[in-house]
Amino acid sequence: MTLVQVKNVTKQYANGEETITPLNEVNLEVHQGDFLSLMGASGSGKSTLLNMIAGIDEVTSGEILVEGTDITKLSRGKLADWRASHVGYIFQTHNLIPVLTAYENVEMPLLLLKMSAAERRKRVEIALEAVNLTDRATHYPRQMSGGQEQRVGIARAIVASPTLVVADEPTGNLDDETTEQILELLQRVNNELGMTLLMVTHDIEASEIAKRQIRLERGKLTERQAGSAKSTVTAA
Amino acid sequence: MFQFLPYLLKGFWGHRARAMLTVSGTAVALFVFCFVSAVQDGLLRLTQDKQAQRTLVVFQENRFCPTSSRLPQDYTKHIAELPSVTEVIPIKVVTNNCRASLDAIVFQGMPAEKLRSSRELNLTAGNWSAFEGADDGALVGQAVANRRNLSVGQKFTINEVTVLVTGIFQSSTTAEENLIYTHLDFLQRARGQNSVGTVTQMEVHLLDDADVDSVAAAIDTHYRGGPVATTTRTKGMFQADTLADLAELIGFIHYLGYACVGLVLALVATTTVMSVQDRIKEHGVLQTIGLRPNRIFRLIVSESTLLSTAGGLLGIGAGLVFLSFTGLAVAAEGVTISFRPSMDLAITGAIVSVVVGVLAGIIPGIQAARTKIVTALRQAG
Repeated sequence: MTLVQVKNVTKQYANGEETITPLNEVNLEVHQGDFLSLMGASGSGKSTLLNMIAGIDEVTSGEILVEGTDITKLSRGKLADWRASHVGYIFQTHNLIPVLTAYENVEMPLLLLKMSAAERRKRVEIALEAVNLTDRATHYPRQMSGGQEQRVGIARAIVASPTLVVADEPTGNLDDETTEQILELLQRVNNELGMTLLMVTHDIEASEIAKRQIRLERGKLTERQAGSAKSTVTAA
Repeated sequence: MFQFLPYLLKGFWGHRARAMLTVSGTAVALFVFCFVSAVQDGLLRLTQDKQAQRTLVVFQENRFCPTSSRLPQDYTKHIAELPSVTEVIPIKVVTNNCRASLDAIVFQGMPAEKLRSSRELNLTAGNWSAFEGADDGALVGQAVANRRNLSVGQKFTINEVTVLVTGIFQSSTTAEENLIYTHLDFLQRARGQNSVGTVTQMEVHLLDDADVDSVAAAIDTHYRGGPVATTTRTKGMFQADTLADLAELIGFIHYLGYACVGLVLALVATTTVMSVQDRIKEHGVLQTIGLRPNRIFRLIVSESTLLSTAGGLLGIGAGLVFLSFTGLAVAAEGVTISFRPSMDLAITGAIVSVVVGVLAGIIPGIQAARTKIVTALRQAG
């Protein structure tokens, strides 16, 4: 089942008098349950594409349909509501709220959804357990290692059971051992929780854990088929 | 919005030095605002009180300080016979300082029975019979008693006038609590006064439907060719005229109150702007996880409102306690303005704090809500 359809998406922005076009008429389909990695050189537009799919950046032209909803047509407020219930975002630099504990950081997305306090508590506990951080629930970000912070970031991204989890270079700031743990965790999120994952990375090894690997070069997408994943990538 | 209250409070705790400085700055400004408002309230109560508009004060023409007004006491008989007049009270005023002072002592001597019938005094210590039975007995206002540490049974001397404190009173008219009431004849005979048969002023009470201006005119017309000419005004106007210089100053101080409000606005807005600039990325993260821009706006306005309200309540509380316990008053020419705390003052201060907090958060809130998420996430920190 097609979850995300990127149709003829172009992104342009001005840099002084010059107009940069990192993405030009890009097309992409992501299916339910996919784990897709997006690679490319710095400045190639891979994070921009990820951000547009996550609804935090605007397209210059084209459409992005998620479960049939064209998110490019939504107002800022509606788009925020949509993100709250459909997207989990894993940042490269964790971006936890420093004044909140691990538990409170994970709970934050749930405060935007209608649910009882008991249900919220249950979900946060499950999410923290999933990333093996139950014993760190009351710790503040400054009291945790980079790897632990990133696991809290992953728990925050999955706690609301989003339609799509996007990760922007989630291992970019981590050492090799922690990178391995995080990648394993992302695989579990995809395999065991069945969540669709879209990950931007510049690390070839990291990209290989994904079911589908896509490369973005000079505004064009090319896919290296892996495993049994089915997808359609059309370069403009 | 309440589910984000812990986030707001923890944010304050996370930046507690900044939050505490803002709260204390706001508290100091609201303390001054409270004080200035109390001074204004005191003046307004004195001049615009209903009773002050329905009571006349007869004073010697072209005289200002109580020591210079000497009206023959027998004027009371003629004035009492005028239509619409219900009562005339002869009053002898003695003060230790005719100029503006924060610690002026004002004695008002009047017949005991008139004092009892015309003033709503609530004795908190001593009793009426002790006052009536002692020639040098005095009923001391609570504010003077607090300021001068007076208690019943004590002797008290000012300007060669020595009185025995026989009672301490509270009054619904707060300015009264800065007076010391004595017997009229005692004050007339007191050492250095030598004014038997004369009084400083007369207080004329009228019927409810009386034409105040025509009674005043009738009194002044009658005595224009007499031994001592009079000037008769409503009590409110008399007090306003007597305190004219002070009133002008108080009018100017009024701007100090506005300045305090402006100060709080600038202080809280600056803190909020700093806080927003420090957390551009954090707000980007919050929007990424699904907070609407208008919720970000509301969070920031709530933050500035909480800071301003906390500081405001502290300042107002401190101001009210200060005013309650010091019994401060300023007097000039025998008329006193008391600075007293009131519920109106507290409510006004609280409303000012909340409104200023909301205003201070609007522009930083709009800035934060309008920042594009991707731009916000690129910020360092």
